[in-house]
Amino acid sequence: MATIPESEKPPLLPSWRAWYWLVLAALTAEVAFFYYLTRAFAA
Amino acid sequence: MSTFDWLVLSSTLIFIIGYGAWRTRGAGATLDSYLLGDRDASWWGVGLSIIATQASAITFLSTPGQAYDDGMRFIQFYFGLPLAMVLIALFAVPIYHRLRVFTAYEYLEGRFDRRTRTLAALLFLVQRGLSNGLSLYAPALVLSAILGWNINLTVWLLGGIMIAYTVAGGTRAVMVTQQGQVAVIFTGMVVAGYLLVHYLPPEVGFKEALQVAGHQGKLNLVDFTFDPTDRYNFWSGMTGGLFLALSYFGTDQSQVQRYLAGRSITQSRLGLLMNGLVKVPMQFGILLIGVLLFVFYQFSPSPLTFNRPVHDRVARSAEYGPQLRTLEAEHETLFLARRQATTQLVEALHSDDPAQLAAAQTHLQATNAATRGLRQQAQELLKTAVPSAEAKDTDYVFLTFVLNYLPQGLVGLLIAVVLSAAMGSAAAGLNALASTTVIDLYRPSRPHADEAHNVQASRWAAIGWGVLGIGFATFAARLENLIQAVNILGSLFYGTILGIFMVAFFLKRVGGKAVFWSAVVAQVVVLLLFWKTDIGYLWFNIIGSVIVVGLSLLLAILLPAEPASQAPTAADQPAV
Repeated sequence: MATIPESEKPPLLPSWRAWYWLVLAALTAEVAFFYYLTRAFAA
Repeated sequence: MSTFDWLVLSSTLIFIIGYGAWRTRGAGATLDSYLLGDRDASWWGVGLSIIATQASAITFLSTPGQAYDDGMRFIQFYFGLPLAMVLIALFAVPIYHRLRVFTAYEYLEGRFDRRTRTLAALLFLVQRGLSNGLSLYAPALVLSAILGWNINLTVWLLGGIMIAYTVAGGTRAVMVTQQGQVAVIFTGMVVAGYLLVHYLPPEVGFKEALQVAGHQGKLNLVDFTFDPTDRYNFWSGMTGGLFLALSYFGTDQSQVQRYLAGRSITQSRLGLLMNGLVKVPMQFGILLIGVLLFVFYQFSPSPLTFNRPVHDRVARSAEYGPQLRTLEAEHETLFLARRQATTQLVEALHSDDPAQLAAAQTHLQATNAATRGLRQQAQELLKTAVPSAEAKDTDYVFLTFVLNYLPQGLVGLLIAVVLSAAMGSAAAGLNALASTTVIDLYRPSRPHADEAHNVQASRWAAIGWGVLGIGFATFAARLENLIQAVNILGSLFYGTILGIFMVAFFLKRVGGKAVFWSAVVAQVVVLLLFWKTDIGYLWFNIIGSVIVVGLSLLLAILLPAEPASQAPTAADQPAV
């Protein structure tokens, strides 16, 4: 695999891998929140 | 609708489209400019365009009604989407950008051969050409039913405006207008959600509304039970939903074109990841509006059926009218009981007395079950009286509330939301249909045609597909649930297209002959399964792509070796 060119590096976070983990972590947090809502407000 | 509503509606649409036309004046001298807006979009422009392309009018008409009827479990359908965004950003975006392709299918010729590219392009054109028509027909059907608009006039007017700005300004016009459309959509939905809570009785706040909904089983957001026959659970979302999202965002030109217009790999990737972060909360918000509508109608009288025109037709009938009136009288009585039971439940929630809570909940469940039974009887009666009528009325729930309860001006704004969503989504589809027709079918057959000729051909292709889409929409069958109809149509072809791209990206040693015949077999099998079995439509995405990948591997072994492709694959990408 080649190394990533400077112009294709992501803003704000150190790597694209960090961005991908951010999106997946947000999904995990959302599912956890939805699970909480399902349980907390169920009969 | 009042004059003020008409003013708000028309000025909103004129402003969005006028601003788009002004911003993109003179655009489209070259194919790069006309089809990809000079590849100059920033990440937020790409992200908003992706969101607006997926969120059609159907999203805002059907989804709240679906939550009103079935709770929020539909949210699980979107769980695979963020993962799909990551995979596409990781593998597809760099390949498409480095090759500077106009369409996703263009890559397939370099990777395999011309006929595989043509097959994938044709599969896209068939499914998108039909679904683009449905995405125009859906709002026209509901608006004509509720507001008494002429359906054909509505479809042609809506389609005519959409064709005009798409043809004139190309991709840049589509993307600029989508920014205004998304702003109107978000504003309208936030206002509708706020007013729904505001209209609840003083003793019922947002928390109590959620508690009432939860006790009636409407906050069924996540279900980890594995059940292949259940359309919406965590596992179907993470598998079928993932494959559908991979197909739609990775291989459907109407979405690929959005991020091909990005200024760089970075801007395109960020646009996709923005969608991955926003989509699930956005769908949650839309479904929450449906649940709040359910709570609202616990305290306010709801019609026996939300499909008013069919109701009125049956009410006038000598044969079925009396039966309908009897059901309506029972429904009104039940409403009083339902309101009382809901008030008791709210009091019980405040009292913290488990016995009182259990009794109130049982009482409310009984009245709601009786209401559901009556609505079911009414739907059967309407279906018997008017066999051509749409049986389910969930697509009408949200707009009925808007028209009956929102103040003047906001009705116009919410209708603008529906029309903006319809045009934003259909314009991107039209733009993609024109691009694919010219780049993948027309241009290869006329290699010596100059740039100006191809731009002109793209404009004519957009007009042609626009007229065809409206024609199809005019004659479209009234399907049970519009959003599902569009998804079913996509799923019949998406699996095969995704399979071709998966082989292209990840199986470098498989050649064109193997993947082409595998794709033909997969498409025939999927169509046969759809015709002969009752498999849930989400599974066709997986079945189609698995057949293409599996059979390609087998044929690559059995068939004589093909020359190695020089086109990049996933293995050629830099490390992240």
